[in-house]
Amino acid sequence: MTDTLPEDALPEEALPEHALLEIEDLSKSFGGVRAVQHCTFSVGAGQVVGLIGPNGAGKSTVVDLVSGFGLPDSGSIRFAGQQVAGERPDVIARMGLIRTFQTPREWRNLTVMDNVLLARCQFSRESLWRSLTQAGRIRRLEEVDRVAASEILERFQLDALAGERAGMLSGGQKRLLEFARIAAAEPQLIILDEPMGGVNPVLGARIGDAVGQFAADGRAVIVVEHNLPFIERTCHQVVVMDLGEVIAQGPFAGLRENPRVLDAYLGMDQSHE
Amino acid sequence: MYWVSVVTEAGVFAILALGLDMVWGWCGDFDLAFYGYLALGSYMTFVLSIGKPTAPVRYIIGWHLPVPLSIVIADLTVVCLAAVIGAIALRNLREIYFAVTTLGAVYALYLIVENYTPLFDGFNGVYGLVNPGQAALRLTYNGYRIVFLGVVFVLLFATYLLVQRLSRSPFGRMLRSVREDERAASAYGRAVFWAKYRAYLVGAALAGLAGGLFAIFISAFNPSAWTPQELLVIYAAILVGGRGNPRGVIVGVFVVYIGFIELTRFLPSPASRPEFGPAFRQILIGLMIILMLRFRPEGIFRERPGAGATARSGIRRLRPTRPLGAELAAGPGRPASEPTPAADEGSTR
Repeated sequence: MTDTLPEDALPEEALPEHALLEIEDLSKSFGGVRAVQHCTFSVGAGQVVGLIGPNGAGKSTVVDLVSGFGLPDSGSIRFAGQQVAGERPDVIARMGLIRTFQTPREWRNLTVMDNVLLARCQFSRESLWRSLTQAGRIRRLEEVDRVAASEILERFQLDALAGERAGMLSGGQKRLLEFARIAAAEPQLIILDEPMGGVNPVLGARIGDAVGQFAADGRAVIVVEHNLPFIERTCHQVVVMDLGEVIAQGPFAGLRENPRVLDAYLGMDQSHE
Repeated sequence: MYWVSVVTEAGVFAILALGLDMVWGWCGDFDLAFYGYLALGSYMTFVLSIGKPTAPVRYIIGWHLPVPLSIVIADLTVVCLAAVIGAIALRNLREIYFAVTTLGAVYALYLIVENYTPLFDGFNGVYGLVNPGQAALRLTYNGYRIVFLGVVFVLLFATYLLVQRLSRSPFGRMLRSVREDERAASAYGRAVFWAKYRAYLVGAALAGLAGGLFAIFISAFNPSAWTPQELLVIYAAILVGGRGNPRGVIVGVFVVYIGFIELTRFLPSPASRPEFGPAFRQILIGLMIILMLRFRPEGIFRERPGAGATARSGIRRLRPTRPLGAELAAGPGRPASEPTPAADEGSTR
């Protein structure tokens, strides 16, 4: 059963006027293991939602199901008004949902610039026929894209590394590249799977700023994270999961007093206080 | 004429290698069916152009089409076969599973061709495509072989231009992103199977073209001409030249075929041990490939990140004015949208 906090407790900006993502009664089992059970929550445009819970709570499974990397057993996932449960990940990505993974997955033997250009998702230019017949036109369009990509790289202080292979970057720079790729993709919904993993505090602050900027641009963001101070600082709403179920949702401050949340998760880490 | 023959064969295999590199170098799929595509291209070119068989020889079709048209039709046949094999193998199979499936496919093709004689006359194979057009062109035998060498090189150059254009295009970059990380590629909207499938069909078409040229080069074709192991030499050539770099692939084929395989034929053997030369040649070829992989695994020409499009537009390779990881010194809480003064110094504007 889900403990939902009274809505008057939520900050005004946290209320999704029109939910961009609506997850309803989502379930998924792996053999006898019920990874996700009757999961329901929604995310609105411009909202940052934290998805927290102990290891094995089902957070990453939810992310996989929403982004098309898994097939739900039952339930509904509506993104931008369309049912996407069971769709291929590339189809969902083309609709405007971009996700990251727990470890940065850069295209390591491509340059930093090419990583960003690929993220801009100009699919029509990747036609085999057009590549052969309209090479000059594509090259001119690429030049325009390159300027935009350079500005994004500059914003994330990666511009000096544009020509380097992405695999040569440090761990922190790979995280920044991940955010540069998201910025280039201009998605409606961003799912960040543990963006603070292995990140130093200074870089963490910049990642927090980037998340805030995405929301300020009107994008919805879901953050799966164990770093609770980060969640508290960046998220309008928090969804807490345990043993595959959503056990509570609401603003972070309200969850501190929720006994189920304290028992399942928050009690395990009070270091931020 | 020995060297004309050697260089012609290398030219034909370079076209095959460019096709294989699209599959393995660009997409990362270790395909072992590829020599089968060359073989089918050869067989089909024969049966479409050498006329009806006379008993006891048996083979299908037996038309008398002009050789260039035969090669085109043969190539389409190869693409159809690749469409079937690719649809099965590329959908969900990766790495060793993909390799084993394609190996199984080529062995099945091999056994069918060898044992079902009405197809291409079994182990006897097909023959009779001796210097097509030589009389019309009024060329001597040697003159014809030199002209044919020229034709092979023109086609190789045209193939290189086509492959290079694709390699430097967003299409080539997209294929490499799929090779590097399929999950990330699909998370950014790339339909992985369809991307690989298109490259696979183009690669197979190049193998079919190489097969048609090989038919003219070799004049007769039977199962002994295309054991699947032959493909490993092509893989070695791609490795030596530079996987993913079309120029490197061509250089690799010539280095391996002429430098490793042909030049080592001239190794001397003592009169008492005539088998020494050939045996030592095999050892030397293996040793050269191992040394190459040990000391220059990226090959003679490394794949260029940015696939040339980057270089063409002049990506400015700036020396960072801030040390890498300078975010440590940037101070907490600085908005990512606000570049630091130091970053401004290093900007490309």
